[in-house]
Order: sequence, then C-alpha cells, then structure tokens
Amino acid sequence: MSMVRFEGVGKRYAGGKDALSNISFELAKGEFAFLTGHSGAGKSTLLKLMTLMERPSRGTVYVDGQDLGRMRSSQVPYLRRRIGTVFQNHQLLFDRTVFDNVALPLLVSGFQPAETARRVRAALDSVGLLGYEGRNPIELSGGEQQRVGIARAVVNKPKLLLADEPTGNLDPELSEEIMNLFLRFQQVGVTVLIATHDISLIERMGHRRLILDHGSLYERVEYGL
Amino acid sequence: MASKGSPGASARTIGIQDRLRAWGQQHQLVAVETLMRLLSRPFGSIMTWLVIAIALTLPGAMWMTLDNLAQLSSRFQASGSISVYLKPATADRAGQALSERIKGFDHVAGVIYISADQALKEFRAGSGLGDALDLLPENPLPGVIVVEPSLTAGRDDVLALGTRLEKESLVDLVDLDTAWLDRLHALLALSERIIWVLGSLLALAIVLVVGNTIRLSIANRVDEIRVTKLVGGTNAWVRRPFLYMGLWFGMVGGLMSWILLVIGWLLVSGPVEQLAQLYGSEYELQPLSAGAALVLLGGAMLLGWVGAWWSVFRHLHQIEP
Repeated sequence: MSMVRFEGVGKRYAGGKDALSNISFELAKGEFAFLTGHSGAGKSTLLKLMTLMERPSRGTVYVDGQDLGRMRSSQVPYLRRRIGTVFQNHQLLFDRTVFDNVALPLLVSGFQPAETARRVRAALDSVGLLGYEGRNPIELSGGEQQRVGIARAVVNKPKLLLADEPTGNLDPELSEEIMNLFLRFQQVGVTVLIATHDISLIERMGHRRLILDHGSLYERVEYGL
Repeated sequence: MASKGSPGASARTIGIQDRLRAWGQQHQLVAVETLMRLLSRPFGSIMTWLVIAIALTLPGAMWMTLDNLAQLSSRFQASGSISVYLKPATADRAGQALSERIKGFDHVAGVIYISADQALKEFRAGSGLGDALDLLPENPLPGVIVVEPSLTAGRDDVLALGTRLEKESLVDLVDLDTAWLDRLHALLALSERIIWVLGSLLALAIVLVVGNTIRLSIANRVDEIRVTKLVGGTNAWVRRPFLYMGLWFGMVGGLMSWILLVIGWLLVSGPVEQLAQLYGSEYELQPLSAGAALVLLGGAMLLGWVGAWWSVFRHLHQIEP
C-alpha cells in the first residue's frame, strides 16, 4: 500500500496561473525520494497539498490511504500530527528554548510532561543535539537550527516526513550531514520526501527522483554507485 | 501510553483517560501561563485592567446608591402612618369617640388621638414660637388622629382606608402622603433604566477594549500561531490562551472595581451616617452585598471572555500557514 498517492492533481491559483497540472505519482511506505525542479516549478505547492496547507483545484491526494479532499478542516490538525514537516526557513520560535520548540507538536497532541521530556530528548539525540535543550535557537548556527527543526518534525514519530529545501542555506558538508539524518529516519520505516534543487547532492546519493518542470511531473529512477 | 521504539517506527497511541487528564492539565497550564504573560508586561495590562475597573465602577456605584435609596424608601412605606385632621371646633369627646371607632376599622394597627390643646402644647415646646402663639385669640391647630396601618396592609389597603376616613363627617383632611412615595418610586425606576442604558454602553466598551487588546496580542504572536497550526495545533488550542486572557482581564478588572466600590463606600458611609443622625435616623449606608459582588465579578469575566471571543473569531482564522 502506498503512503502518498496523487491522482491527476492540478493546482491553479487565483489569477489563472497553473502551479501544478495533472500530477500523478505514488510513494510506497518506507520509500525515500527526492523532488527536484527549478525554483517556482511547484515543489512547495506539491508538499503543501499533503498537509492541506493548500487544497488541489483538480484531482485527488491520498495520504496513508485517506482521501484528503474529503477531509473537513476540523480534521486537518490531526493529519498534520501524523506528518513531520521540515521547512527551509525552519520556522523556529525564538521566544522559547530548543526544548519548547521541539516539544510543541507533543504539547498540542496532549502528551504528559514526562513522556514529552523523554521524547524531546530522544528526538534531540537523534539529530545530535542532546544537551541543547535549554539554549535559545537564535544562539545556534544555521545547521544546528535546521537540525532542531528536524527534531521537531520527528518528535511525534510521524510515518511521513516532508522536507522543503532543508539544505537551502547550508554548505555542502552540512547538507550531506542533514541528508544522512533523513536517510537514518528512512531506515527505521519513515517515508521521506525531500524537495531540493541541490542536484549534485542528489546524484551522489541516488534514490528515486521526481522532477517538476513548469508544473508537470517527470520521473527518473537513478541507481546509486 | 505511548509505545517505545526508535523514532518513526511506531504509531502514536494515547488512551482517552490520559487525553482527558492532559486536557485538564493543559487548561491549568494555559491559565497560569497567560496570567504570567499579562504580569510580565505590567504597564499595558494594568492600563487595560483600570479601564475595565472604571467602566464597571461607574454603574456599580450608581447601582449601589439606588439599592440604598430603594431600601430607605421601603422603610418609609412600612412606617407610613396616616394623619387624620379633624374639623376645627370638633369637641374633644367627639374626637376621642371617633378614634375609638377607627380602631375597629380593617387594616388598622393602632390609633393615637392628639387633641387640639395637646397639639398646641407640643408645638409651643418644639417651635419656640410660644410668645407669638399667645397673641392669637384661639388655638389655630385642629385635633389629629394618627392612624397606624397594620404591617400586613398593602398599598391599596392603605389607600382604601384613607378614602374611608375621608368620608367621616368630622374629618377635615386625610394626609395619606403616598404621593411623594409614588414619585420617589417612579424616580427610582427611571434611574434604574438610566443605569441599565449606561451600564450596557459601558459593558460594550469593555468588550471592545478587551477585544482590541487581544487583537494586538494576536498580532504579536502571529509566528507562534502559524507554527502551532503547522505542527497540528487545533483551532481550539490556538484560541485558548486568548480566551483565558479575556477571562483574566475581566476577573482582575472586576476585582479592582469591587475594591474601588468598597473604598468609595468607606469614604461616603461616615458622612451619610452623620447626615442621617441629623434627620434623627439610624440609617447606615449598606455596602455591596456578597451576591452583588459575585455578579459584578462574574459579569466582568463574561464580558472579558466575550471580548476575547469576538477578537479571536475575527482575527485568528486569517492566520493560516
């Protein structure tokens, strides 16, 4: 069974511009894939359709077997709790500590404090930031901030992990480190989809590649060396 | 409970009981956190609290005054005796006989007969006009029968009694003196209406002040709201701190208003007592009752909450990731 399935999905913004047209693809459970394309090709829009930050103009999106078109807006928060999302600008809150940032998804899901603390430490450990709980994210480097964002995305143990340009502002060495982190999550069963324009990195890593060009999707399966 | 395992390997599972407990804890946490947030920026919060307190104190003080007047007037009603003035030149014996007869009327608790001579004597003693009175050829004062209606007599019973007394042949004038009471009651009713109108306007002002303060607070926390929605926070979750903020604004504003009313009562009750003594009354200014204080506090909290809802309803939906 597939984790994500798009069937003839199109997205037209007000103003008549087609951001995506007739997109169909599947991601199997536990798969690791890249989504590439020039900037403005519709990568972010495609990711946003999976967390219902946007709704498609045409076609159907399924996540974990659920038809998102039939989902009422009151159900959207529960969908988002099952999906971890990493953003290019990491969307951290600078008025609170690293711990509180990572704990936010657990807090809104109603976890007990003890369980929350345990999971936050486990998530920070998995991105190599154990001991950073009390720090403010503003004191951290770009790579560290991005890893806090990843910890927050995985703290709820999601089945699906989406990342939008997670290495956008990082140097190649750090980028590879972050990508390896995503690979490790895939190894424990998480389905991972990463939108990036970092072609050299993708080519080195191999894996399935979905290519967006002016709103249309092409696919190329590459095999690692 | 959540199952153990490496990140991402297991689904999230929480029991209903845990969920309920967490929900209760979360409410407590948000309530305390919101209060702390308000206290951490004391200047802005105190301004809002003061505005609410003053807006509540105005109608509160008027209501307290009215309540006191109403209590005072009800005392007058209970002690409202009827003065029956007899025709001049009514014989002392005839007057006494009439007063005996009146004693048997319905709704009469007691009767005091004051003869013309007695009246003159009392007037002489009380007024200090004794010398002037000596110059008059005859006693100008009529005999009076003071009729005390029974406590169980209603207003209509007293009025009927008055008419019956007026029909007596020896009676010149019946001074029922309900007219001024009627006027006072009409005045009180009018004042009450004015307080309601004023109170409603000030209540609306409170809703608007709280609403506007919370609108600013929402604007200050746009990032937090967006991120919270991104990671699966429900609308109820996002709303909650702002609704608690409205409750706190109302509650503290209400408490401050209550304190202002108590201070006002302390300042005024001494002079009022002195004034009452000058009129030969034991009257004491009544403070705001516990019930009224609770209504004030509850009303203030409700207004704060409504203001918060109004603001949250208008602004929160516009913030989407």
